[in-house]
Amino acid sequence: MSTNQPLPRIAVHSLTGCAGELLVILENLDKLLPFVHVTSFPFAQGKNEIRPVDITFVEGSVSQPHDLEKLTELRANTRWLVAVGNCAVWGCVQRAGCNHCSVQKMIDAVYGTNSPIEALPAAPLDHYVPVDVKLSGCPIDATQFLAVTANLLRDHLPYVTHKPVCLECKLKENGCVLIEKNLPCLGPVTAAGCGALCPSVGAACYGCWGPCEEPQMEAMATILSEKGYQLDEVLGRLQAFGAPKELFVRLEKS
Amino acid sequence: MGNSEKKRIEIPEICRVEGHSAVYVEIDQGKVTNVQLDVFEGTRFFEQIVIGHHFEEIPHITSRVCAICSSGHVLAAINAIEHILGFHPNTTVSLFRELLHLGMVIESHATHICALALPDFLNIPDLMEFASAHKEEFSTWTILRNLGSAIQTTVGGRAFHPVNMHVGGISRCPSGDELKPLLEKLSFAQQKAIDLCSLLMQFQPKVRRTTEPTFLALIPNKGKYGFFGDTVKSSDGWEQSIQNYRDYLSEKSVPYSHAKQSKGRGKPLMVGSMARLALFHDLLDGQAKHIYQSSPLASGDTNTILNNLAQAIEVVHAIERAQEIIRVLQEVEEPQFAHPEITKLKPIAGSGSGAVECPRGTLYHYYDIDEAGKILQADMVTPSAQNTARIELDIREVVDQTLGKTSDQLEGNLETLIRAYDPCNTCATHMVSVNYL
Ligand code: SF4
Ligand code: SF4
Repeated sequence: MSTNQPLPRIAVHSLTGCAGELLVILENLDKLLPFVHVTSFPFAQGKNEIRPVDITFVEGSVSQPHDLEKLTELRANTRWLVAVGNCAVWGCVQRAGCNHCSVQKMIDAVYGTNSPIEALPAAPLDHYVPVDVKLSGCPIDATQFLAVTANLLRDHLPYVTHKPVCLECKLKENGCVLIEKNLPCLGPVTAAGCGALCPSVGAACYGCWGPCEEPQMEAMATILSEKGYQLDEVLGRLQAFGAPKELFVRLEKS
Repeated sequence: MGNSEKKRIEIPEICRVEGHSAVYVEIDQGKVTNVQLDVFEGTRFFEQIVIGHHFEEIPHITSRVCAICSSGHVLAAINAIEHILGFHPNTTVSLFRELLHLGMVIESHATHICALALPDFLNIPDLMEFASAHKEEFSTWTILRNLGSAIQTTVGGRAFHPVNMHVGGISRCPSGDELKPLLEKLSFAQQKAIDLCSLLMQFQPKVRRTTEPTFLALIPNKGKYGFFGDTVKSSDGWEQSIQNYRDYLSEKSVPYSHAKQSKGRGKPLMVGSMARLALFHDLLDGQAKHIYQSSPLASGDTNTILNNLAQAIEVVHAIERAQEIIRVLQEVEEPQFAHPEITKLKPIAGSGSGAVECPRGTLYHYYDIDEAGKILQADMVTPSAQNTARIELDIREVVDQTLGKTSDQLEGNLETLIRAYDPCNTCATHMVSVNYL
């Protein structure tokens, strides 16, 4: 690497989430440090500057006005904006919560009716600003994260797969837990990337990566109802990790 | 500074803590009149999110409260639900759960001590400088953190948000062969953890609170130092079952913060490593015991900053205990590993609580389940919520002492003080909807 060229600058920030992506990035930082300058990463370092950077990684959903202000400022100061983790890409469990209960009702229940606490219905980043790369996961997969970053450092928009988990599961030659053990595996409608972690230990995929491309929700619901699951439980499971309501319009009518 | 002057100290964003928080201190007539720890992390309303879901889904959902203590949220949920359903896991499952938990303790403590707390003592401004100018400490952190994540990956299926731990057991038991590399990693990391304790003992805390805290922690099972139990003990001399935690823990929301504050029988509490060591150091053994005995903690020093050292001692303990557990698990007959250690539990309507000692202190989960196994009501009390009132009191005491003196270091020192609690704001904002006491 040429020494007089300034290093590309990166920033790592979080909105409302569990800090999982911050941890994955922190844990893999030793691999990145030779190639980038970390301009800001408030979770991990004391000295942070807001200035134009090449890549900004943002974890978490937009869940309050403060998140939105921060996101807008980050977007204005970055060339590439990468949404990392299910919260930033889909809205994760907090979006599912907002689907079945209004934010105001939740605030009233938790903080009392006259609370000054401000909250917005949990939403992914692209509801508010353009996002260049969406890297889902709960948490993100370290290998995928490093590959995406390497691509961006080479000025190249990476391809991130959204094929179903079943694909990775078959490649691993796992026995199918949906068919052989009658477990409520959501692999057929969940985006791959984890390497089919749950079926590989004999458990059902519960959808933590968010929906795959063109998810066949009706077919999935039919299989699960044949296995004895009631429709409301099926809908609860399918939506638990941020799958948008639009995917369930037909199912909810039935 | 004149006495009649009003002054306000503001730290708008505390860096190197989990989540987002700020501190405001108001001073009037030479006295601290107000201290506010404002947690402005967005709220995710977990107690509402879980409602209507089947109990089998709950550990996977509550895991997402917080990544760094996800194994704790998984186990607290499992404990509560298995308690309601009257299920007792067998020894193999219990040992795997304990091993998973120890992996979390090692990883969480190592990251807090090295990456979040140490930079204050070694004057490290950013990560680049940490990696290049403090190679030794950076490598200690890497080794310990990788160890914690290797344990959690082997047992739980990934470094956090475990996929292998369920209500009713574990879906796949790692084999003796898979556990073996962990033993090598553990014995290699042990000396690093001991050295970390020595390093921390060299630092003189720059600030000091002036009153003794009230400590609260779970009485560990089986008379051994540990992180699981059913009854809490207070340094004020009382004990109580966690099933009745509402009787001793009060919670209130404060208008300036998204996090609620808890008190124990009306008093600010300190939970976490220092509390556990203060109450149960007698139960330590091995190297951890020796280090404890040679530390200022053994002579009764309760300076907040020593919580960093207390965490390091717990890392040594966790490494020793993990080796013990793995040796026992290696003895378990191989054929047993071929079958998943999981029992499908039938729903029973009822309610109950589960608790674990997370890295930062006692974590409580409570659920009310209907006869179909769906969640009707839930409650979680996190360690950070229990510590908040004591953090504010610490800040008040430290600022009070510096009034009248010139101190350009005050804000930095306050941050160091707050960081020693290892506050986890993503946890703290998932507070309850019930107002009790
Ligand atoms: S176990 Fe799940 S992910 Fe694997 S093939 Fe079957 S349905 Fe797909
Ligand atoms: S199998 Fe499904 S639930 Fe399990 S880690 Fe992968 S995407 Fe997440």
